[in-house]
Amino acid sequence: MNAMRILVRFKVTPDYEALREADWAAGEGDCSDRSGAAEADARAGSGVASGVETRYVPRILDCFDESALEMALRMRDATASDGVPVDLGAISVGGREVEPHLKTLQALGYERATRVHVDAGLDFAPTVTASIIARYVQETNKTDLLMLGCRNGPDDAGTLPFLVAEELGWPCVTQVTEVMVLSDDRVRVAHMVDDGLLRVTVRLPCVLGVGNAVVARLRVPTLTARLARREAHIEHVQTSDLGIDVVSGLAGESYVLTGLEVVRRDRSGTIIGGQTPREKAQTLFDSHLKSLMGKL
Amino acid sequence: MSLSRETIVEGLKHILGADSVVTDERILRESSIDRFRMFEDIHGVYTQPIPAAVAMARSTEQVAGVLRFANEHGINVVARTGRTATEGGLETAVPDSVVLDGSGMNQIVVIDAYNMQATCQCGVPLQVLEDRVREQGLTTGHSPQSKPLAHMGGLTATRSIGQLSTLYGGIEDMIVGLEAVFPDGTVTRIKNVPRRAVGPDIRHVIIGNEGTLCYITEVTVKLFPYLPENNIFLGYTVDTMKTGFEVLREVMVNGYRPSVARLYDPADGAYHFAHFVPEGLSVLIFVAEGPAGIAKATAEGIEAIVARHPECRKVESRYISTWFADLNWGPDKIAREREGILQTGNINRTTEVSGDWGCINDIYENALRRIIEEIPDITMAGGHSSHSYINGTNMYFNYFYNVVDCGPEEEVTKYHTPINRIICEETLRHGGAIVHHHGLGKARTPWVKDEYGSSYYILEGLKRAFDPKGIMNKGTIIPA
Ligand SMILES: Cc1cc2nc3c(=O)[nH]c(=O)nc-3n(C[C@H](O)[C@H](O)[C@H](O)COP(=O)(O)OP(=O)(O)OC[C@H]3O[C@@H](n4cnc5c(N)ncnc54)[C@H](O)[C@@H]3O)c2cc1C
Repeated sequence: MNAMRILVRFKVTPDYEALREADWAAGEGDCSDRSGAAEADARAGSGVASGVETRYVPRILDCFDESALEMALRMRDATASDGVPVDLGAISVGGREVEPHLKTLQALGYERATRVHVDAGLDFAPTVTASIIARYVQETNKTDLLMLGCRNGPDDAGTLPFLVAEELGWPCVTQVTEVMVLSDDRVRVAHMVDDGLLRVTVRLPCVLGVGNAVVARLRVPTLTARLARREAHIEHVQTSDLGIDVVSGLAGESYVLTGLEVVRRDRSGTIIGGQTPREKAQTLFDSHLKSLMGKL
Repeated sequence: MSLSRETIVEGLKHILGADSVVTDERILRESSIDRFRMFEDIHGVYTQPIPAAVAMARSTEQVAGVLRFANEHGINVVARTGRTATEGGLETAVPDSVVLDGSGMNQIVVIDAYNMQATCQCGVPLQVLEDRVREQGLTTGHSPQSKPLAHMGGLTATRSIGQLSTLYGGIEDMIVGLEAVFPDGTVTRIKNVPRRAVGPDIRHVIIGNEGTLCYITEVTVKLFPYLPENNIFLGYTVDTMKTGFEVLREVMVNGYRPSVARLYDPADGAYHFAHFVPEGLSVLIFVAEGPAGIAKATAEGIEAIVARHPECRKVESRYISTWFADLNWGPDKIAREREGILQTGNINRTTEVSGDWGCINDIYENALRRIIEEIPDITMAGGHSSHSYINGTNMYFNYFYNVVDCGPEEEVTKYHTPINRIICEETLRHGGAIVHHHGLGKARTPWVKDEYGSSYYILEGLKRAFDPKGIMNKGTIIPA
């Protein structure tokens, strides 16, 4: 039986929750590797998307990508004893910050680990990222199922799965919450649609955009597993190897960060007085719930 | 003869009123433990005896009433305020215990900006007190990571310490006076004065008692000017922990008092600093604060000391200030942690100890090596020093493991206790103290006699004198 070859694309993003409100200001953008490289210069010079200054906060795995990575591991586990063999690969486009995550994934059983090196942050540049991923998939010809998170952080419009699928000419299912391997060329997929959950069977190759899945956290490898895969090879790919010119790609992007605004979600509240919980409950009932019940 | 659960509940209702006695089964189950058995809790498994009731006290008189009742009938009482205990101090080790909850005693009695002290009831969350004194340009100087959750009573009862301790000290350095109720209902007040020499300092019978001698109802703490605009953040990478400890030592010995003085090993540091620190390096962090001149002199002094160690390389200070702003734990982080543990089976535990400069690196190296060699399923093992003194520092071991091939009720015995054993053994062997600031709880009582040595006589004497019937938090500090 042929193995199902799954490639999961993930992104390492700044932990926006660790950013102080005062730091939500347009800065020089997320250039993780500030070596003065051509891409970074091009980005600064092009006037494109000078993003929020995120250099000072830790990098984390994007949460939707994290779901996708764990889902793929579970697909492998589910078929391990009797079903279709599953071969796992992980890919990320980025700088050195990606490497520790690739090492973790290798320790968890991802056989292939790839970093496509870029110097500039590719926030607001989904077409460039999509071309890189699509071209890698085409060039290597080792992928039956491409999985990726539907949306990467607050600076992402959720277009990447569609754009990659279009470049590859593959079908695309987004907002995926569960995947099950049926055979070496079919998967059963649950995905959220406007009015509920839809289950479909999809023939491979295809692209799955993982949404708000129940499986949200990636398992953690033991130190022993890490040690065992310490010498595992990480494939490093240059964008030029894929025939992609990031500099001109970025110049063509139309997204520009023009300003930032805090959306206040504060709601007014009333503290209910009273000596005992019974009194407080009565006040709540009289002043609020009774009128609501009347409307039912 | 011991009272039935029903009679205990009736007795409590008589003292507190029916609305202040909680007997909801779910609440009782959750009140039988603290974070030490968090893994069981997350899986809905409860192995400890379920208490008879949670009694919500609203005044010192009510606390006295409940204690008198419990003392008369031999009922075990577990004192509780903020519920952030990590060492089993809140476990109800005996059937039909009463959890005496002081979180409703939440009044700030007075903020005295002239005499620089604030008095509050035991159930005041530290964050609330801190926010209130900051309105007057003051600070308590106390900043444990649990600040948003922990209350003044529990913080005093555990001898807690904050992240700014190197300047402001631990809670024992901040408390000037307090009120406490003893098991027979005696209410004692120690007045608020700058210092006294009227015999032993009896504040220390109360501070750190973990609910085993008395119930703390009110505390008065010192206040300090709040001058964040003068803060200077310094960070350095350093090749080895040994050098890092040496730098910390030189800073302390030369008389500098930064508020924060920390040293992270590579494994622990990677969790916080991977975005600016290369793999394999340790990290030194300092914050100089206070009046502008002092902050500046402190920072310059530290810079000069670090400059004598060529392996230290400076990092941009904004990395440190940004990191520092996101350290505390509120309910959101607790909820996220629970969800993560449930999904991955991976749990984070900590054990904090202390030692003098001569032994701290040996404790660190030996304990860590043994944890990695002897304990299965470890996913990370590391640590940091975060509280330094003229004669030594602490070591906060921070470790994660996957709980596999065992039920939730076996997690503590399979992993946590064996790790605690290694750390306590190594600490004792080198002459350190087995608990630096979380309290002994029930988790580390197996080593308490070795910790105290001949001075255990004093501890037993205190217990005999103040809790002769042994109703206060059985199994905590003194083994059951
Ligand atoms: C996320 C997190 C971070 C933490 N960070 C720190 C830190 O930086 N520094 C630090 O020192 N600790 C820290 N801790 C430990 C914990 O917050 C402290 O031990 C704290 O002092 C407990 O206060 P509490 O109000 O939550 O007490 P509780 O959890 O309610 O009780 C703690 C202990 O004190 C006893 N007790 C409670 N109230 C009273 C009272 N009124 N009279 C007598 N005994 C009483 C209890 O019986 C129990 O043994 C942390 C804990 C968590 C969960």
